[in-house]
Amino acid sequence: MTAVIRADKLSKWYGNVLGLSDVSLEIGPGITGLLGPNGAGKSTFMKLVTGQLKPSLGRVEIFGRPIWNATGLFARIGFCPEQDAFYDELTGGEFVTRLLGLQGFSRTEAMARAEKALRFVELFAEKDRLLRGYSRGMRQRLKIAQTIAHDPEILILDEPLNGLDPLSKRKIIRLIRDLRDAGRTIIVSSHVLPEIEALTRSIVLLHQGKILAQGDIPYIRDLIDKHPHKISVKCADPRALASGLLEQPSVRAIQFGPEAETVVFETQDRDAFFGLLTRLIVENGQDIEEITSPDDNLQAVFDYLVGT
Amino acid sequence: MSALARSVRSVFSFYLFIVRRARRTKIFALVSFLPALAALVIRVNAWLSPGAAVDGPAVFSNIILTFNLQFLILVLALFYGTSILAEELEGKTLTYLTTRAVPKAAIILGKYAAYVSFLIVMVAAGVTLAFVILFADRLGDAQAWLVLARSAAVLALGLLTYTAFFTLAGVLLKKSILFGLMFSFGWENIVPYFPGATQRFAIMHYLKSLLPPISTGGEGNFAFLMFKLEPSTPAAAIVTLAVVTAAALGLACWAFARKEYLFEE
Repeated sequence: MTAVIRADKLSKWYGNVLGLSDVSLEIGPGITGLLGPNGAGKSTFMKLVTGQLKPSLGRVEIFGRPIWNATGLFARIGFCPEQDAFYDELTGGEFVTRLLGLQGFSRTEAMARAEKALRFVELFAEKDRLLRGYSRGMRQRLKIAQTIAHDPEILILDEPLNGLDPLSKRKIIRLIRDLRDAGRTIIVSSHVLPEIEALTRSIVLLHQGKILAQGDIPYIRDLIDKHPHKISVKCADPRALASGLLEQPSVRAIQFGPEAETVVFETQDRDAFFGLLTRLIVENGQDIEEITSPDDNLQAVFDYLVGT
Repeated sequence: MSALARSVRSVFSFYLFIVRRARRTKIFALVSFLPALAALVIRVNAWLSPGAAVDGPAVFSNIILTFNLQFLILVLALFYGTSILAEELEGKTLTYLTTRAVPKAAIILGKYAAYVSFLIVMVAAGVTLAFVILFADRLGDAQAWLVLARSAAVLALGLLTYTAFFTLAGVLLKKSILFGLMFSFGWENIVPYFPGATQRFAIMHYLKSLLPPISTGGEGNFAFLMFKLEPSTPAAAIVTLAVVTAAALGLACWAFARKEYLFEE
């Protein structure tokens, strides 16, 4: 892999508060998912990579050059910030065009590029609306438009799917995949595992400012699968279901939920458990209303991995 | 044109576009036209009161000194100068600037230039309108127009210097508005009345030194305001203001390039 972004023993403190600690990693073309619960250090890492913060210790390099105050490198980077912040006096079209003007593009060139970017995120028809009239999904897509408008080689997307409805999420996931297919180096942060799984197989898990695990999704899943999972089943007769699974080796514990129709199973072998559950449902004609996994969120994964 | 100059120009263009649309601009524009409104009221009152004469030059001088110089430009420079950085932090839009291929100094200089240019035009428009109303019977007098030009130039210099100073305060301090209010209406409005060399520690002293000869209409009310002014020479005043402006902007750029800024959560 050709490293486009390289962090070497990178650390950052905010006064006495640790933001990032001794992070070393190399990121090449394609999508890399940065996963971690709130406060894990994802945004700090992204701010360091985009030169908004100066490392307290260590180095961060883009194309082999330190990024802090390296103005020239910013033409090759597009950054989509997490915060929902805009110049509300502007229209969507003006926002992208004027930011391109800052990059030094002529008015004609800026307008052409803005049009291309806005069409890419399907906002061209809304370009003359004031930003304060944009929905959350539109604003999120507009942030992506300003990120890609100057055609950067590296895209840093901080929680681009945060707070979006499923339809908008799908649109943005498709946009990011298209950018990956165009050969960009992309870092996407999120605290929701399925969102990152929808984008990439290469992820970095951050927790309390440190890299907890790094690799592809199956590797991370393996790590997770070594730990027990909770599976909640809502059905008409939870006691009958529980008795059918009670003696199975893949079931570690059974607990009845606060709602009368809910039973929660704890298993260390999800695949075996789901095989059994499916067979039992079919054989006994169980009327199942809902199957959920309370652990299917990143906080639970981290809790498992850090042993809390 | 150098890369820095090109970046300053693009930032200037960006913010000149934005400042014209900002809500607060409309409010400050109204305030800037208050002298014209006051002049109009005085004129109408004179027309409605037979025998009452208006000493246009004296009223104009009073407006320039007491309203425009000692109040308006200080307020404008304070709010726009400190906001050069503060509004980007409060609005969390700084990221859009600092992740562009734009030198950090260009962000400060370009935004400063955009705001100051806009303020100068806004203040000059208000002053010119007040002048036309108050000098309505002397508009053919070239000397009167010189008074306007010199007054407007002093206000422009004031805006340049104070905005630069407050830009620096905004870059360095979190509570820059509070500091600016104390500086503007404490230091700058008191120190110029101290006798001797002390008054030279205030920017206002150099601006007052450059004002045109005041037409007080004899023993006018505002003569006491100038009572203790021991003016510097025009050359010394201009050089001092230029040095303060350049130093403040230079320091602001230097500090901005080195500091890290975090958004309040």
